Amino acid sequence: MILTGLEILKEHSVGKIKISDFDESKITTNSYDLSLGNRYLRYTDEVIDVHKPANYEIIEFPESGLVLKPGDFILAETEECIGSDHYVPLIHGRSGTARAGLFAHITADLIDIGSYGKSTLQLYATLPIRIYRGMRIAQVTFWKPVGAISLYEGKYQGSDGPMPSFIYRDFEKEE
Amino acid sequence: MILTGDMIQQEIESGIITISPFDPKQVNPNSYNYRLGKKLRISHFDARGEVVFEDIEIPEDGLVLEPQRLYLGHTLEVIGSSKYATSLIGRSSLGRLGLFLQVSANLGHTFSRHSWTLEIFAAKAIRVYPLMKIGQVSFWQNQGELHRFPQRYAKFNSPMNSFGIPLASRESNLSTINSNGVPV
Repeated sequence: MILTGLEILKEHSVGKIKISDFDESKITTNSYDLSLGNRYLRYTDEVIDVHKPANYEIIEFPESGLVLKPGDFILAETEECIGSDHYVPLIHGRSGTARAGLFAHITADLIDIGSYGKSTLQLYATLPIRIYRGMRIAQVTFWKPVGAISLYEGKYQGSDGPMPSFIYRDFEKEE
Repeated sequence: MILTGDMIQQEIESGIITISPFDPKQVNPNSYNYRLGKKLRISHFDARGEVVFEDIEIPEDGLVLEPQRLYLGHTLEVIGSSKYATSLIGRSSLGRLGLFLQVSANLGHTFSRHSWTLEIFAAKAIRVYPLMKIGQVSFWQNQGELHRFPQRYAKFNSPMNSFGIPLASRESNLSTINSNGVPV
């Protein structure tokens, strides 16, 4: 079951959902709006190899905004830290951004229960678009789980800023 | 409601969820990490500009996926349940590298039990390896009476392209849309 906006508000007020900084005006009927943070990440490798750490740079969004061309891919951060030990968060783009051809979160909408931090957004543009820090770009919903809960202890816990992939660690463990 | 990792494991032990092969180390707090199978169907344009698919095996030392091309892969595991609905997605560790899976169709129907075809699209060139953990499947409780409607793709265990949608050739004289959104 998905939580309503009023239920998100209630569960936030008793600490079962954590969102900081919390702004009541960002509550929607079934979700909470997330804003674009200050920094973005761009990979600098021509070809990425999942066995190896990728090279990247982290840059601040200019005040005048950043223009993405069709096919551009960057990682960004949400302004808010979010998480819950009681509900499963799902990240979605906002339909307003998607309608402008900007996909704000594409392939891994599911957040582990017990995971806290700024969400890393995968931004992919299909039309030329200028984006600005602070703009409302995504949303989070909260879903009720069934079964005993084991909290997340993974490699992205406590993320601050757009976090690159740590998938190469999978292979270090296996080899 | 979405099943927690503990609940997924419990339902596997009682035979209500199938994930085969299953490794408890791949259970997450509310999902299971599935692996990329070896078979890959690659889209190409042939000499006439028609879309054709080529089947290959991903070599042990990996394969570089090119940006802006559709690949169809498959889950190593047979996954399904007669009780729960499934959602298949890519892992955040791969989305963070611009490798997008199941972009548009994450829903797996109750009763479908097979190796799922994966829609794979790379925003940047990326080398992938067979059997790597590439995505996550979650399980969701149903509400209402279950009825098995006809299924189209559920019998396939290899990457299977769309039957229903005719693909246009690259050079075909397609109608386009003008600035008012009207086909011309």
